[in-house]
Amino acid sequence: MSYKYYWEDFYPGQVRETGGYSLSEEEIIEFAKKYDPQPFHTDSEKAKQSYFGGLIASGWQTASLCMRMICDQYLLEAASMGSPGVDEVRWVKPVRPGDTLRLKSTVLETRASASRPDMGTVRSRSEVYNQHGELVMHMSGVGMFRRRSPGE
Amino acid sequence: MAVKYYWEDFTPGRVFETATRTLSEEDIVRFGREYDPQTYHTDAEVARSSPFGGLIASGWQTAAVGMRLMCDCYLLETSCVGSPGMDELRWTKPVRPGDTLRMRSTVIEAKPSGKQPNRGTVQFHWEIFNQNDELVLSIRGRQLFLRRAPA
Repeated sequence: MSYKYYWEDFYPGQVRETGGYSLSEEEIIEFAKKYDPQPFHTDSEKAKQSYFGGLIASGWQTASLCMRMICDQYLLEAASMGSPGVDEVRWVKPVRPGDTLRLKSTVLETRASASRPDMGTVRSRSEVYNQHGELVMHMSGVGMFRRRSPGE
Repeated sequence: MAVKYYWEDFTPGRVFETATRTLSEEDIVRFGREYDPQTYHTDAEVARSSPFGGLIASGWQTAAVGMRLMCDCYLLETSCVGSPGMDELRWTKPVRPGDTLRMRSTVIEAKPSGKQPNRGTVQFHWEIFNQNDELVLSIRGRQLFLRRAPA
């Protein structure tokens, strides 16, 4: 199988932007009932009386939606070998039903693998903004990608 | 639900061990299709020739399952008011259909809030294990809790 993006196609400073993802009240409640059933994520009435003043999405759903945006932005067309993990995940502002989110991805660093000549890693920062231009979430993560031309 | 645990109750070294939850192939594919549609999370046939040798759960689903285990175990009985975030999230082993997961939550540190005297943060080490006691996910996470007695 041939991919559009291999490790060599990422470079520090590269920026991608994708937009237009919304979470409805139903989607927020459905996710939270399954994975994060705290009342401010599952019950609109209780949420109104909470610190947040209304229903908000689980931070885990925002992170999962960020992953979906990364997939749609470039990852599904890339020779991806997974990820060892993420750092600096910060939930900055609540996400509310009907908010429209967009993703800005910035490549921070790329590294050839010392042990495996067929792959390399890419560290990227993901920033999720709402429709008011407010940063709602950010994280930095490492992706592993196959090389188009294996190293020595 | 009555609050059983406030910020003061999260003393360093305190450990919570959750019950278990099993992920089916259907669970994995449903989450993958919605949030992480890489083929090794959505298509068992194609996943066979992936680096993982078969269908595996999205790492984000594994983390979300951990959150559910935490809620069912103790979090819904706390004064938790959200989380500022986490660091050092590491997916250490793939999670496959039929795997049964459990979580250990260990209190690392508790800090009063500088700005709001009625709350404080707690840093945890969250570790998710499979049925073979292998570590599949490790996270250093923080959560905010209301204090029983404001500072």
